[in-house]
Order: sequence, then structure tokens, then C-alpha cells
Amino acid sequence: MRRGLMGWNAEELPVAAIEARLARLRAAMQGAGLDAFIVYTNNTRPSAVAWLTGFTPYWSDALLLVSKSGAPVFATALSKRVSEWIRTTDPVSEIVNTPQPGKLMGERLAKDKAKRVGVLEYDMLPAGLAHDVETAAPAVEWSDGTAMFAALRREVDEPERKLLAKADAIAVAALREAESGKAKDAGTLAGLIEQSARLAGAEEAYIAVAPDLAADRRLNRTSQPTPLAERFAVRASIAYKGCWVRRSRTFATDSANADAWLDRVADSIEAGKAVAEQVAANVKALPNAKLAKYTVESCTGSYPLSALASAPASGQFLVLTVELTIDGAPWLGARPLIAGSR
Amino acid sequence: MIANERRKRLTDAMQESGLDAMLVYGNAWQGDYLRYATDFGILEGQGLAIVRGDGHVTLYVDSALEADRAALDCPGIETVLAPDLTSEVEAALNRMRNQSMGAAPQRLLPRRIAARAGELKITDETSFVDRLLMKKLDSEVAAIRKAAKLADEGYKVFMQAARVGRADYELIAESEAFFRAHGVDDNFQIIGIGGIEVKGMAPPSGKRIQAGDMVTTELTPCVDGYYAQICRTLVVGEPTAEQNGAHALWREAMEAGIATVRDGVTAADIAKAENDVFRRHGMGKYTTSEFTRVRGHGMGLFADSKPHILEDVTTRIDAGMVLIVHPNTYHPAVGYMVLGDAVAVTKTGCEVLTGTPRELFSVAG
Repeated sequence: MRRGLMGWNAEELPVAAIEARLARLRAAMQGAGLDAFIVYTNNTRPSAVAWLTGFTPYWSDALLLVSKSGAPVFATALSKRVSEWIRTTDPVSEIVNTPQPGKLMGERLAKDKAKRVGVLEYDMLPAGLAHDVETAAPAVEWSDGTAMFAALRREVDEPERKLLAKADAIAVAALREAESGKAKDAGTLAGLIEQSARLAGAEEAYIAVAPDLAADRRLNRTSQPTPLAERFAVRASIAYKGCWVRRSRTFATDSANADAWLDRVADSIEAGKAVAEQVAANVKALPNAKLAKYTVESCTGSYPLSALASAPASGQFLVLTVELTIDGAPWLGARPLIAGSR
Repeated sequence: MIANERRKRLTDAMQESGLDAMLVYGNAWQGDYLRYATDFGILEGQGLAIVRGDGHVTLYVDSALEADRAALDCPGIETVLAPDLTSEVEAALNRMRNQSMGAAPQRLLPRRIAARAGELKITDETSFVDRLLMKKLDSEVAAIRKAAKLADEGYKVFMQAARVGRADYELIAESEAFFRAHGVDDNFQIIGIGGIEVKGMAPPSGKRIQAGDMVTTELTPCVDGYYAQICRTLVVGEPTAEQNGAHALWREAMEAGIATVRDGVTAADIAKAENDVFRRHGMGKYTTSEFTRVRGHGMGLFADSKPHILEDVTTRIDAGMVLIVHPNTYHPAVGYMVLGDAVAVTKTGCEVLTGTPRELFSVAG
């Protein structure tokens, strides 16, 4: 569950910015012939509702209904007592507490005589909610709105850039805990990094460690006193006000060149070109390095970060993760970037 | 090993019920069904697992990071990275279409798979798994006992962090650092700071402690997948007579609830014992849903599991269940106050798992 700092702040995310996002969604809905759009949220899939309202659930789940006009309707099974808290994170929605959010959404759609309704990630909508919505609105034609929504998320707006930058600054500072030498084991180190991130206002912090990178490149959540080897790696996945970044670093005596190389590569990523080719071309600039693996993630739907297969758009937020072998030794790093920002 | 014991119990129960396989779903919020079957504590994305009658488990996750984690944490099962989770699992289910299969929790299954439940002979077996989740093995209770000890330790850290000027999220940051260094992978925690304006607990909002504030928290560390909860209230400075009086009532109610817990009673019996204390003090109004959610709940692989302790819940309480009894609610003179202890149900009563004194704590103002 989320247990870091949560709350909407008008300076960080002005209502005008949220309304501009809603307007873009409504324009896309009109283009697709949709009368309304439904988005699901829980604390694993918070990002689309967070983008449209500012709200992230700390627990439970909810549905958001965006119609052609009017305030979005946010329906949750959380009790009415929680409404006050929801309002502190969502300045725009009509908040409805109901034991059956799906039924309420369906009834609203039926009342509005909606004919065609888009649903973000329709196939993945939880069965209980889907059943309730569809039963209450039997005349509606349902349409998967995943691609339409992803198109809206290609370019981040200014408030999102700033929130992402804040999340990244928290991650960078937190990972410096690994340089301090205070922790000799993975669990203690994870605690120090998480503590730093949460003290700086992180909404969420997932810390993963590969305590002996030479033995195993895989990173895992840990709270165990596993000794840290001479070469270890840490990943910090940090959320600030609904915006997620990842940073990974290798800690070893010879990692500085590769760290600087990753910064240069990330700063050079161009829009409209396959990231694989851009990374592969850059590996040649790092002596004795071989590319082991790379991944590119972005936020295009309800997941905070998920793998991106296509070439990035200009202004798209990405997290680039690269694994190399340099002079026979493993190295990995990850950092966020905005495509085409050089 | 606890995971193997659980899986054997699950497959034995499947055999008794005539099920060839089980399909279980999980995410970081509702992860208990998936954890029961796979022992995987999922963090990002979503997971589905198919458990076959012979004990073979295939876990499908849609995040590459989670696939790495699952392979490390659960070497005894087959892990499949399935970026298109629904399609991949649907294909597997198509290959098993002649088998009798249950699903849990059915309400959270992806819509596309649930829509084919009839055709694929998938029945809703949520309550079947709920029974396994509620009535625990000795090894499961032992894990919760460990988590309860860490809840006690964690509360000490929380109390030490509480002082004038500190923000709510800073208190939680201190608890989390302690937990990560002491074998606690996860924690459910909400908090309240202030006085009569505080109607409940929530995640941190950035509120800073002032002298005289009450600080409430529900702290729920997780050890080996099992959560144990403790609820306590502290005052920054000396408690007032009204705060002390309210706490005495809360303690009487909690202890009445705990005294009722034993094999064979119902969840309603426990709730009624707690609420009767409030009613006797003319505070019955504050036991209603306007002011409080539940009077306790189950714990285990989920921080807030069945049964909910409410006067209209007739679920039988069995030995092997683990509960928290917490008469948390609003008091008009002092604000929202909490007090709760974790208990393991036995044949003759219960074992109280948390050991923190049942005091209204005071920290320097």
C-alpha cells in the first residue's frame, strides 16, 4: 500500500493542467465516436486516473467516468469517511462512495443514453466491476480505448515534467546512501535508501538490490542481511505525486565511466528512432563493453511504467535500463529521460 | 517450508472438491490468493497462476522485473514472463479446457478471461480459498507471531520519531528503515495527527505534529508474506483527563472483545462485546459506520482480510484464525482514537500476539 506523502498541490499540478488533460481526452473521444470513457485504478494501476485527476489510491480500487462534459465521476467502494481524504488528492471529480462502483457507472451511462463507451485496458478490467457496469448499461457498445489513451500520453506536459524531475531528484539522492558505506548488508541498505526517499516526500519507494552483481544480475526486494559484495547494484523505483521514475546504479570501483556513458546516451536519445539501435550504436563508444540487455519503459496507460516496444515520440517520458559486460564484469544502470530533449 | 505446506493443503483441498486446477489472480493490493498458491509477493503489474492437481504451478507475470523477482523468490515454480498477460493465460486455459477448474478471486480476474468462464468450465472458488486463508497452519501462525514481535519493535521506533515539528510521512520513513533492516518486506500503515478535527486515519498528507496532538497509527509489518497489526495512540505532551478517559473506554472495549475470542463464537459476538462497552458509556453512536469501519478483522497474507469483525457478520471464528481486535473510532471530545492487538484464536480462547503495553503513550511535547 502507499504510505508515503500523498496529496494534491495546486502549485505542482494546477487545476488548469488537469482540465487541459481532460479536454485532450474528450477531443480524442469525439474523434473516436465515444460518448464516455472509463478508467480503472488501484495501487498497481494508478497512473491513468492520477493523470486525469491527481488521485492515487493508497488501498482498494475505483472507477473514473469521463463523459462529454461535466466533472469526471469517481466511484469507489471505499466508505464515505474516506471521501475527505480522496478530495485532498483529487480537486476535480465528483466523488461517489458506493458498494457497487460498476453498477453506479453503468446506471450513469444508461441515464445519459451513452451508446459507445471506451474503456482503458478493457480486457483487463476486473471481472466484478465489468459485470456490474455492463449489466447496468446493457445497450452500450464497449470499445477498448487503450491505444487512444496511449496516444495522449506520448508527450508529457510541463507539470508532469516537473513532478518527474522531483521524483528523479529523490531517487538520485536516495541512491547516494549506497556510497556512504553505512550499510554492509542489502536489507540495511534498502532501508536507508527507502528512508531517504520517504523523508524527501516520496509517495512510494520500491528498492531492489543485487547484492553480488558478479554472481547474479537480477535485482530483488530485500529486507535480509545479505552481505554486499565489492560489486553490487541497486534499483530505486520512486513515485512522487503519482509520477514514477526508476534509477539503477552499479556500485563498484570501476563503474564511473559507464555511469557517465549512460548519462550521455540518455541525453542523446532521439524521438522517432528505435532505441535499440541508438543504444547499440553508443556501446561502441565504451571500450571493452558488450551490450547484454536493454529495456525502455514509459507510462502509457494505467501502469506507472511498462515496456515500450515502439520508437519514442518527441517529448515522451522514458526510463532506459542497460546491462553491459565491461572487461568481463557486469554493470547495469537505469535513468529517466525525455526523448528528443537534447 | 511454509510455501510447500500451503501448496499441499491447497492441492489436497482441490482434490477433495473435485477440482483439477485452480486459477488465481494477484496484484500488490490484493496479493494473498496469488501468494498462497505461489509464495510470490508481487509488487508491480499483475499476476495469474495456474495450480494443477499434481502441485505444478505456473506463474504468469506481465513485468520483466517481476519475472526476475519471482524466479529468485520462488524457484520451485515455473515463472512465465507474459507481457500480454490475458492472451498468454487464455491460451494456457484453452489447452486445459476439458479440466474442472476453479478461480479466485473471481471478481478480480481479467474481464476477458472471466467472460469465458462458462466455456472453459471455470467456477468461482473464491470462498474455497478464503477458508484456507482464514484458518491457518501452525507454521503460518508462527510467521504472524514473528511479524507481531516486529510490530511491537516498529511501534517503539515510530514513537521515538514522533516529536513536535515532524511531518507524518517522516514518522513512517523512520519505521520503514527499521523494518527493511529487520526482515520486513512490506508494511500497511495509516496515520492520524491532531485533535477533534481528525475523523480517521489515512496515508500521510504532510501534516506536522504540534504540542498536544494525538498521533494514531495502525502499523502492519509483513514477515514471509504474513501481516500482523498493532494499533496505538500517543499524545505529544501530557494527556488530558478527557484523553485518558477515552483511552480507558477503548481499552475496556478491546479487552471485552479479546475476552470473547475463542473457537466457535462468531465475528458478530466479538463486535457486540466491544460495542456493548461503548453503549454502556452512552457512546453507541460511535460504533456505527458514520464513525468507524470495522471493529477488527482477519490478518494473514492480506493486511485486512476476512472475517470483518462487525455485528452483522456471522462468520464462525475457528481455532487457527488470526485477528486484530480494534475498537477504533471517533470520540467527540478528543478525536479519532485507536487501540488494537493481534490475537491467534485457540480452542479455549486466544493468544495475544502483540506485547506493547495498552497505554495511551506520551512523548515529549
